[in-house]
Amino acid sequence: MVPRKVRLTLTYIILIFWSVMVLLPIYWLFTTSFKTRGAVIGGTKYLPWAQFKPTIQPWINIIEEETLVLSLTNTAVIASISAFLALLFGTMAAYGLSRYKFHFGFFQNRDIMIWIISQRMMPPIVTAIALFIMLKWFSLLDTRIGLIMVYVAFNLPIAVWLMENFFSQIPETLEEAARIDGASRLQIFGRIVLPLAMPGLVATFFLCFVFGWNQFLFALTLTWRNARTLPVLIAAQHAQAGPQWWRISAMTVVTIVPPIIISTYVREYLVKGVVATNK
Amino acid sequence: MAPAVIVLLVFTVFPFFFTIFLSFSNVNLVGGLSINFDGIQNWVRLLHDGRFWNSISNIALFVSLGVVLEYILGLSLAMLLRQKIPGREVFRVLFLMPISITPLAVGYMFRMLYHPSRGVFNNILSSLGLPTINFLGDPDLAMFFVIATDVWHWTPLIFLLLTAGLQGIPDSYLEAAQIDGANSWQRFRYIIFPQLIPTSIAAILLRSIEASKFMDKLYILTGGGPGISTETPTLFAYLSGLNNFDLAYGATIAMAFFVLVLVFFILTFLVITWFGLTQLGRA
Repeated sequence: MVPRKVRLTLTYIILIFWSVMVLLPIYWLFTTSFKTRGAVIGGTKYLPWAQFKPTIQPWINIIEEETLVLSLTNTAVIASISAFLALLFGTMAAYGLSRYKFHFGFFQNRDIMIWIISQRMMPPIVTAIALFIMLKWFSLLDTRIGLIMVYVAFNLPIAVWLMENFFSQIPETLEEAARIDGASRLQIFGRIVLPLAMPGLVATFFLCFVFGWNQFLFALTLTWRNARTLPVLIAAQHAQAGPQWWRISAMTVVTIVPPIIISTYVREYLVKGVVATNK
Repeated sequence: MAPAVIVLLVFTVFPFFFTIFLSFSNVNLVGGLSINFDGIQNWVRLLHDGRFWNSISNIALFVSLGVVLEYILGLSLAMLLRQKIPGREVFRVLFLMPISITPLAVGYMFRMLYHPSRGVFNNILSSLGLPTINFLGDPDLAMFFVIATDVWHWTPLIFLLLTAGLQGIPDSYLEAAQIDGANSWQRFRYIIFPQLIPTSIAAILLRSIEASKFMDKLYILTGGGPGISTETPTLFAYLSGLNNFDLAYGATIAMAFFVLVLVFFILTFLVITWFGLTQLGRA
């Protein structure tokens, strides 16, 4: 058998190697956003101060730019409103599915659930072209409202699925007890179910928010100027001849920081959700 | 119930059938939008379009190689971090970081790293005295480096799912095996791995479904190039339909691709059921 010491050393070598691999692209992005044009073009420079003199000029430039501020606002507004609506509709559907029995012929609760989740399996490109024409009919191309509606549909399956999971963990006996005490359906939902499902609601909201924030294909298809989101802005900047890495890097940092912060917070809930569905 | 169903009907179900209709039409955007029924023209054109079949073989390579690598790496990392070693939590948080990064940003980050002359990778290669590589500029190699980007991005998801799966294995099983004299490889082979099969199948299926939609990182990494050597069906449909505004043909590509994906996953599902791995059904 391999001695414990050797095994532990080997473990750490692999773990540290992978950590470096994970951090390298992120480190490179952050440092590039503090480089001057000269430091980017002049070769591969790793260490600030030692190899290049850091500057906050790229950051000043992008903050002064209207396009970035507009895209940042767009992304935040579209991601949060669509996440809220997906959560609202998703919660209603999930609660209905977990507490009432539906029959549409042979189509029952479990079939409805599978149908809703299966929407998520379809590649978005299948609907993207049709949605482009539909939004054109209603003059909603390149508007926040148009993109919000599309994102709600995009996130709804996940919201229903996660919330159904959380609701099924709340014992129905609690609700029965309240019913016997004379509480109305709405009161039961508002005062008993919702507070108990709060952690689930928060997690689902943020998950949908991150999905909306990171979404690319629909945003690329349906927006170009007024409602353009951050990923589309970055893609457009990069497409220019001789892309200005220092500026795009600063924009990219702005794009990736919110989802990273949120996910660190939501991770606990997600791990629980994953464990729950696998048992 | 009702609002959710309405949203899905309007923004998913209707567009789906509309796309089918578009694939049998002739769409003109010049001078106002006009849509005319056009028979199976688009489908005939598609079946003879080498570019479509190229994109299908590209995505097949991307999904199969990518998901296999992600699974092997994710499993190895999850197993390594099963040991209660100092710093375990730090590694976990670190390893999960890529999941939440905007795909397009990941593409951009690797685009910088892969740069032939000022990228980090070639800098490391040349300082080691090795020849440099034109990572994304070589049609024979580009796809492999695109896959590497995806492996960086999504190995953490497999790692996360398998870590959760590992936590579900009772310690008593392993202790019993240890008492019976099983070495660590035997414990993995005969106890841990069989217990992980349902989670593994779920993780692999989930990743394969997501990977088949691939286009976001690709859009900024290579844009499908050099030539069409890395083009995926989603990107091809986007470029034809929404960049060249041949909407009907774009719809046909998307629909044909979806049919193939559907057939593939239904077959996979049947195979899984035949092998009696039905625990998945409960997942």
